[in-house]
Amino acid sequence: MTKVFSNNRMNIFYMIVALFLAVLPFVYDSRSTLILLSQVFIFAVLAMSYDILLGYTGIVSFGHAMFFGIGAYTVGVFMKRFEPETSYFLLAVLVTILLTAVVSYIVGLLTLRLKSHFYAMLTMAFAGLFLVLAEKWRTVTYGNDGFTFRVPEFLRDRTDFYLICLASMVIVFILLKRFTNSPLGKVLQAIRENEQRTESLGYSVLQYKVIASVVSGVLAGIAGILYAVSLRFVNTSVFTMDITLDALLMTIIGGVGTLVGAIIGAGIIEFSHHWLTELAKVHWIFERWIIFFGIIYILAVMFFPMGIVGSLQKLKFGRKKKTSAPVKSEAVSQGDS
Amino acid sequence: MSTLLKLDQVETFIGQYHILQGVSFEVPKGEVTVLLGRNGAGKTTTLRTIMGLNQASKGSIQYKGGEIKGLATYSIANQGIGYVPEDQGIFADLTVEENIKVAVKKENDETRQRLDWILNLFPDLKKFWKKPGGLLSGGQKQMLAIARAYVNDNELLLIDEPSKGLAPIVVEKVMESIQQMKEKTTIILVEQNFMMASTIGDSFYIIDDGRTVSNGSMNILRDDEEMRRKYLGIA
Amino acid sequence: MDVLISLSLNGLATGMLIFLLAAGLTLIFGLMDVLNFAHGGLFAWGAYSGIWIYTSTGSFLIGIIGAIIAGMILGIVTERWIIKPVYGNHVQQILITLGLMLVLSEMLKVVWGPNQISATTPDYLSGSWEVGNVIIIKYRAFIIAVGFTVFLLVQFLLKKTKIGLVVRAGVMNKEMVQSLGINIQKVFMFVFMIGAGMAALGGMLLGPYSGVIYADMGMEFAILAFIVVVIGGMGSFSGSVMAAILVGLSGSFMAYYVPDLALAANMLLMAVVLIFRPQGLFGAKG
Repeated sequence: MTKVFSNNRMNIFYMIVALFLAVLPFVYDSRSTLILLSQVFIFAVLAMSYDILLGYTGIVSFGHAMFFGIGAYTVGVFMKRFEPETSYFLLAVLVTILLTAVVSYIVGLLTLRLKSHFYAMLTMAFAGLFLVLAEKWRTVTYGNDGFTFRVPEFLRDRTDFYLICLASMVIVFILLKRFTNSPLGKVLQAIRENEQRTESLGYSVLQYKVIASVVSGVLAGIAGILYAVSLRFVNTSVFTMDITLDALLMTIIGGVGTLVGAIIGAGIIEFSHHWLTELAKVHWIFERWIIFFGIIYILAVMFFPMGIVGSLQKLKFGRKKKTSAPVKSEAVSQGDS
Repeated sequence: MSTLLKLDQVETFIGQYHILQGVSFEVPKGEVTVLLGRNGAGKTTTLRTIMGLNQASKGSIQYKGGEIKGLATYSIANQGIGYVPEDQGIFADLTVEENIKVAVKKENDETRQRLDWILNLFPDLKKFWKKPGGLLSGGQKQMLAIARAYVNDNELLLIDEPSKGLAPIVVEKVMESIQQMKEKTTIILVEQNFMMASTIGDSFYIIDDGRTVSNGSMNILRDDEEMRRKYLGIA
Repeated sequence: MDVLISLSLNGLATGMLIFLLAAGLTLIFGLMDVLNFAHGGLFAWGAYSGIWIYTSTGSFLIGIIGAIIAGMILGIVTERWIIKPVYGNHVQQILITLGLMLVLSEMLKVVWGPNQISATTPDYLSGSWEVGNVIIIKYRAFIIAVGFTVFLLVQFLLKKTKIGLVVRAGVMNKEMVQSLGINIQKVFMFVFMIGAGMAALGGMLLGPYSGVIYADMGMEFAILAFIVVVIGGMGSFSGSVMAAILVGLSGSFMAYYVPDLALAANMLLMAVVLIFRPQGLFGAKG
């Protein structure tokens, strides 16, 4: 699989797409498209961070929103409490990285030595806890309604912000490509394929899983920062299950364990969200657009576990390459006998 | 003499490993057929494949003339095959009584008689009737597993290494019981303990590297030291 | 003193509702090794269909029966079509049941609209008794009674019947159960049905207790149920009732004395259990 991407042709293709997106605001000046695309880039970062867990390590988190929310609230609170200046913004980024790293480290350490169910459950519960915290700690968070805030100068222009989001996505993509191709990334994939075997080869599986959890948590926090800045507003919705579900849908539909799948998934979900919401004026059923994705998602997990990118790769490379379905991971102990 | 069970060129994969690569044998009704072979040769997998716990990818398994390959485990068991797995499969938290109750299909006089008969053979089980199966000793667990397989009117019993890890005196006891059951039912026995196998067995098949390589009446093997050394690593 | 009693009853009632949800989760997990993230959806569906039947027929009892039936039907559908295709694969199971949760919640909004629906207690369960100077709200006592009855019934089912024996045996060793001639698929379905029925009953009972039902109630209670399942020990039925009462009581007392920390207290309890006793406080095995 890695060979597909270190493949020069693929890299050139990515570069062309990135360049195209970079010049887009200068040739096609549509405010709503720029905002929508910025949203796609932000969620692509979130989805890629999720892919590190699900696709590359085989861990299911149902609380990814908590890291996203930590980022969103941190930047919001810093901008509101202090001055909307670059220095405070950078400080907020630093604090976000610190907080998300600590939280993901603790949650990971607590549950990653146990069966996958526990991590899914505990992250879900922890995210619930953060949601409650955001609702109740009114002096800081202004409760359910949230608050608006001003952003530093350099983030104010829509086009600039669009480029910053694009750059963030590209940088995260490149970094994560490096990361997954590094020896450490290889160990993570080995864990996904067969945890017991990796353990018996002498790797501390727990340690590697915790590393994956921290990397993923921090990046989700960064996505949260960008999200809050894009809205200049933050409320408790950033901690809700909906955010985690978005990340899940994007990763699964785009294709787990591919990174680029997460980006494509983010594009599909965000654009569909946008269009289907408009269609809601035509028929109320489209207000419940998430139901379509829920069904597509279930069918994808069942019949199409490699998502769009994974399936395309399989089609293209046929049986020459040993493609594995990353969702079908986890060495189930039943097969031991 | 009629054939009760017939395997023909059975092949089984576990994951990507090709464990059985052509196992064929026939089990005559009323006899004890012993499967011999080194550790890892595929004996346990053969029994599991008969039970449908591992799926055969090729070949045929005929029981009483009908194909049972591909059937679900429970319906294979319901055709009258009892299974005593290598690890005995005792339900640790259930009492001895409950362990047997799970197995009982029909609560009628015949079942009661069979139960009485086997409990007389293993009085220990009666003694610990209300105790959890997990508290039994290794030998008692083996007895319970055998009793559980026997209590239904099964025509064929698959018994996987009943002597494994047991003290010699207990092995004798288990052996004796199998000897007595032999009168009433057909048995396939996987056994490493050659002494035990040769006392009880009528005929043998040797499995090596997932294939049946040799067979005959037990007497032949008793006299053929070289074959024993070659396939079983014993003199 | 009366505050203590009132809080205890309150906690017990909530605990029983959580128990009804958690019991199915833990049974299904114990037997099938499936953690059903859609269980909360069955809870919410029980509430909506039960309350709907109750308001349209005027009979609370028919509403309860309807809720249980609706839950069981959904349970069977879930097991057959959603979970069965992915047995044995934990990651897929977790993902797919969460997807189902999403669909179930959204479907509620499609059928009954996105707004919350109010639910009232029937006349004969409204009001309260006064014992000395302690006020006992009838409906809470009713929930507690129903919870204990269900607990005893399921306990009886597990301990005294053949199918219960098979379920307990299946928790320990599925292969052996099949080798003894038992169709484990049918047992799975049976357990799923019971678990779903209990969840739906819990949801239905919650309606008049909290006064309103809403689509996200499933998710909210599911989180509490997960905490209970962890504390009680995954797969332990009697553990789930103890843990549910514990969580219910701690929730009720914390809500009175330190309201902001109610959920945090339970979360903390879960974290402590996970660190020191991952098999659960009441669970026998890991």
